[in-house]
Amino acid sequence: MVALICCGLTAAAQNSIQQKTSKAFSTRATHLLGFANTKSDCSGTLSIEDDSLQFQQTGKPGAKVKIASVGDVFLGAESKQVGGLPMTLGKTAAPFGGGRVVSLFAHKKYDTLTLEYVDADEGIHGAIFQLTKGQGEVVRNELIARGVAISSHPGQLTKESATEARHETK
Amino acid sequence: MKPSKCNLSIACMIALVAIILTLPGQLAGQTEAAKSYSNGTPATRWSVQVDRVDPGTLELAYSFQIAIYENLIEKLKKTKQFQQVFRDGDLKASEVPNLLMLKTTVEKYTPGSETRRAVTTVSGATKLTVRSQLLTREGEVVLERTVNGDVRFFGSNLRATQNLARNIAKTIKQSPVSGSGQPTAVLTGQL
Repeated sequence: MVALICCGLTAAAQNSIQQKTSKAFSTRATHLLGFANTKSDCSGTLSIEDDSLQFQQTGKPGAKVKIASVGDVFLGAESKQVGGLPMTLGKTAAPFGGGRVVSLFAHKKYDTLTLEYVDADEGIHGAIFQLTKGQGEVVRNELIARGVAISSHPGQLTKESATEARHETK
Repeated sequence: MKPSKCNLSIACMIALVAIILTLPGQLAGQTEAAKSYSNGTPATRWSVQVDRVDPGTLELAYSFQIAIYENLIEKLKKTKQFQQVFRDGDLKASEVPNLLMLKTTVEKYTPGSETRRAVTTVSGATKLTVRSQLLTREGEVVLERTVNGDVRFFGSNLRATQNLARNIAKTIKQSPVSGSGQPTAVLTGQL
């Protein structure tokens, strides 16, 4: 009777883990460069569904890459000026160096997620995504949970982020 | 009679202008053809395989390495100097007879800051210096150049990689190896 209950509990736990792993995950991201059949510098949704990683540009069909083809994932941190070109022009036009003061405060920190994957001919591709601070780690963990083997030294991720952040705050 | 004479002279003029306009084009075409068939066979066009960026001993962020690699492939494709542009590890590259390998080694990296650029204008530039080498399959260096790329005013830090890739592609385009024929001379220099 006890063995039966134990078996039942184990099966339920395994089932919940499997469900958790295969659950679809998505987050807002900006594709900076490199992902297959996707325009550079465009925002959209980065999602992980079943065995593929997908980036869907807003209002356009998505591009997919098999998770099994992803060889490495790297995290980084970057600080960027907000507002894009209109804000830059506005800051340039502002009198008495007012634009520079605005620049001091008009920046935001982002996570950069760099993926390395191979195509059907074994050619190496790289893709860089920009995510809201904290989301990079979540996507990376999701990819690891789905079997992406990270060949790099684990300390390298934090070191890379720290180095970039240090230069940004200087 | 007068109108027919006039018509004849106009027709002669048109024919003369047409001949003058067509002749230089024909001559240029003949010259090109003569060049590309100089040895009795059509001149070979090279393909290139872009290797992953070697950071050397520097602490270069992985996103920068990937950005240089991806931008290089894109810019080299745009120049149309090579028959095919292959990625590192591409199995199809081994079947191509005339293949050159592009190796990029980072020699100098100055990390910058977009905020510092926006606030001070004069400081915060991101600078990259790389050594680019074009090698044959046998490992013979046919082109070696030191190329710079930076972002000084507007744009994110990654824009330095875009400028660098554009400069490398430009250097290769200006060199004789990317065109037709056998690359023989080793070219070294700095851009």
